[in-house]
Amino acid sequence: MTIIIAIFQAVLLVVCAPLISGITRKIRAKMHSRTGTSIFQDYYDLAKLWRRAEVHEGGSGLVSRLMPPIFLGCFILVAAGLPLIMQVCPVPLLGDIITILYLMALPRFMFALASIDSAGSYTAIGGIRELLVGVLVEPSLMLVLFVMALACGSTNVGIMAASVATLTANPFVAVVVAGVACAMACYIEMGKLPFDLAEAEQEIQEGPLAAYSGPSLAMLKLGVSVKQLVVASLFVAIFLPFGAAATLAPLDLLLGFVAYVIKVGIVLLIAAVIENSVMRVRYKLLGRYTWFVVGIASLSLVFLVIGI
Amino acid sequence: MTPKNPKTQRPGETHVQAVRDTFPGAVLDATWQAADQVTITVPTDMLPDVVEFLYYGRGGWLPNMVANDERAIKGCYALYYLLSMEESDPSFVTVRAEIDPHSMEYPSVTPRVPACVWSEREAYDMFGLRAVGLPDERRLVLPDDWPQNLYPLRKDAMDYRKRPAPVTDVENYSFLYEGNAEETTQVPMGPLHITSDEPGHFRLFVEGEEIIDADYRLFYVHRGMEKVAESRLNYDAVTFLADRICGICGNAHSVAYAEAVENAQGIEVPIRAQYVRSILLEVERLHSHLLNLGLVCHYCGFDTGFQHFFRVREKAMDLAVLLTGARKTYGLNLIGGVRRDILDEQKLATVKFVREMRNEVEALVDMLVSTANFESRTAGVGRLDPSIARDYSPVGPCVRGSGIARDVRFDHPFDGYKYLTGLKTRSHDGCDVQSRTLVRVEEFMDSLTMIEQLLEGAPAGPIQTEDWQYTPHKFALGYTEAPRGEDMHWAMVGDNQKCYRWRAKAATYSNWPILRYMLRGNTVADAAIIVGSMDPCYSCTDRVTVVDVAKKSETILTKDQLEGYCRRRTHSPLAGKGW
Repeated sequence: MTIIIAIFQAVLLVVCAPLISGITRKIRAKMHSRTGTSIFQDYYDLAKLWRRAEVHEGGSGLVSRLMPPIFLGCFILVAAGLPLIMQVCPVPLLGDIITILYLMALPRFMFALASIDSAGSYTAIGGIRELLVGVLVEPSLMLVLFVMALACGSTNVGIMAASVATLTANPFVAVVVAGVACAMACYIEMGKLPFDLAEAEQEIQEGPLAAYSGPSLAMLKLGVSVKQLVVASLFVAIFLPFGAAATLAPLDLLLGFVAYVIKVGIVLLIAAVIENSVMRVRYKLLGRYTWFVVGIASLSLVFLVIGI
Repeated sequence: MTPKNPKTQRPGETHVQAVRDTFPGAVLDATWQAADQVTITVPTDMLPDVVEFLYYGRGGWLPNMVANDERAIKGCYALYYLLSMEESDPSFVTVRAEIDPHSMEYPSVTPRVPACVWSEREAYDMFGLRAVGLPDERRLVLPDDWPQNLYPLRKDAMDYRKRPAPVTDVENYSFLYEGNAEETTQVPMGPLHITSDEPGHFRLFVEGEEIIDADYRLFYVHRGMEKVAESRLNYDAVTFLADRICGICGNAHSVAYAEAVENAQGIEVPIRAQYVRSILLEVERLHSHLLNLGLVCHYCGFDTGFQHFFRVREKAMDLAVLLTGARKTYGLNLIGGVRRDILDEQKLATVKFVREMRNEVEALVDMLVSTANFESRTAGVGRLDPSIARDYSPVGPCVRGSGIARDVRFDHPFDGYKYLTGLKTRSHDGCDVQSRTLVRVEEFMDSLTMIEQLLEGAPAGPIQTEDWQYTPHKFALGYTEAPRGEDMHWAMVGDNQKCYRWRAKAATYSNWPILRYMLRGNTVADAAIIVGSMDPCYSCTDRVTVVDVAKKSETILTKDQLEGYCRRRTHSPLAGKGW
């Protein structure tokens, strides 16, 4: 039964990611005082790209070709394992924070590798920036998840979710502070403005994406949308598990599903508003922002140790 | 020479006297073309000394240098170094030197006054006049595949309707690297780049993301305007061609050209026409500055601001429609006046537009300045050192952002600007992108005030005069302060009702040479905003020759094909031809 839910989750996220992205674009257009494109525009774009021929840069190797499917695949796996509708992980094996962190690091690694594989100079700059974001943000995320693991007594995201949902995660303040740090780290991880450094259009012409075309580009674009949704869902799953199904009863599952949609919707709405009211951070100054996140994450560890 | 009034000195007299005193015997001849324009002829070997003395010694700035093929008139080539004297005795002093048509050489002024570098490179491309001692002898204007010994602006060059066969199939322009670091990566930006809507090839020499040095190649979209004006149009039709130099500030070019001819021919433009010209110039500044403020947002990744500035900019365009009948302020200037008056109801509507725009832009600017990261993205980025600015004579918000208050509207008041009160040149001394942006914001507000004052002050009367005698071979300068800085036109009419030589200097022409210094020490991420803060106008600068270097294969389109394409927007006539 749970495996069906896992597959359902994965399919749902992949199918809905372009819609979410389309809605985000619509919100952006409204904030720009534009009419904007249809909320289904991303589906049209993907369909069009899928039909197009694929062109590779001369001299680029296997890495460039493997990157898009690996990128998309990793995030689909993460999506399958998260406790979104239920409070426990549908596939416990995939719900371990270590697995999740590695499944998120692998696409980043491939992304950077592919950017070096390409001959374009902007591509390489984009790859370096992606790694930089990773180096600066991942430690905070790890620290937060470590705090949660200690507070809940397990590295399994499902158990964390269950203990947060029943308010049994201790100490309480540490968990709240960890939640704040996690929200910030996830926002940076989503790669939205002001932190979309790797693909900054005006600065480096979309970085590594510039080297792709056709189905590969479609996969990458879908992958980026899925990534944003998965990262938002990760935060929701651990820190806002309220309303998720505690049992496998159909009504519970339905309610859990509705609750999940509402929670993720609110999180993404807030992200969309932030995204459209800031300027892109200067690449050099990114460290200042991430120090702040590291600081809050460390604070949660301190609270955990002293037990408040 | 016109008889001289012994009591009052004419503008420029003190400078001529100073040159006479410092270099005895150097001034072979001094003539006044207009009240504040004097041309002194000096021996060719004295050229660097005199220009350097006027530039650094007397507070002169150099808009550009004009080369001219005067073999048909005087049996020689001539160079005109135009100097705008801004410290004392404001006036224009032109230093003229004649060049022997056999040797074709003259001593380069660039080592003494770096501001001449582009003009001297261009003089070689166009006329084959070689500046001896010029540090940078690469081609500037002509494309790489242009034959070596064909100089398009010579009077006996190939017919302007023909094109020479390309001599090479590869780009062979060498980009100069002046940095010290040993290992750098070259990042090409352009010829087509996502943040610039016109072609320009920037070569960034970077270490990691830091720019060590930068070089660039422009003039990809030559249109041969100066040659066309000399060969094909009557002198009084060139105002309409001058409009088309720029897609933003065309009117500034048109006014500058018209005034060059008017100054040379001694035509008195009716006062009402002068007011109308100034009002239209300011309307142009409104939409141009809003464009740039929007672009600043865009380059910083703040598209919300970009879109809102563009929303307000539509009001400025509506104002242009109201006053000129079209969204672009094109086709309004004639030699001797303007074609369209501002009626009373238009005046009232304009005042209303101005009030609305003032409120909306104030709110938007508050939003921009308080947006997260605005300060960190713009302050200290793209520094233009004032000493570099002094050497290269940049113009417009670029130089005014480095604490140097230069503005033709106030330094050499012309047209309606003579009658303004209570305004002065805006400047900021941060030397960075932020200062240049703030200068634009303040100038925008000033423009609104100017429009109000000018509308209020314009006297009734005619808007055109046809009362003048055409005298061949007279020449003079015309100048306007376009949104990006001063436009300087130099025109000499011939004995066939055509321009003998027309040299249109767009504002950005003066600004490109300093870009290299502005880019140094910044990151690749800032390159776009630095280029954007200069508000470059590629097409204005690229106005001279005929061949498109980017495409070796030519496709000739008929007028019908193009017009049909404009209407349908589908079935491009170029489809399938490699475009």
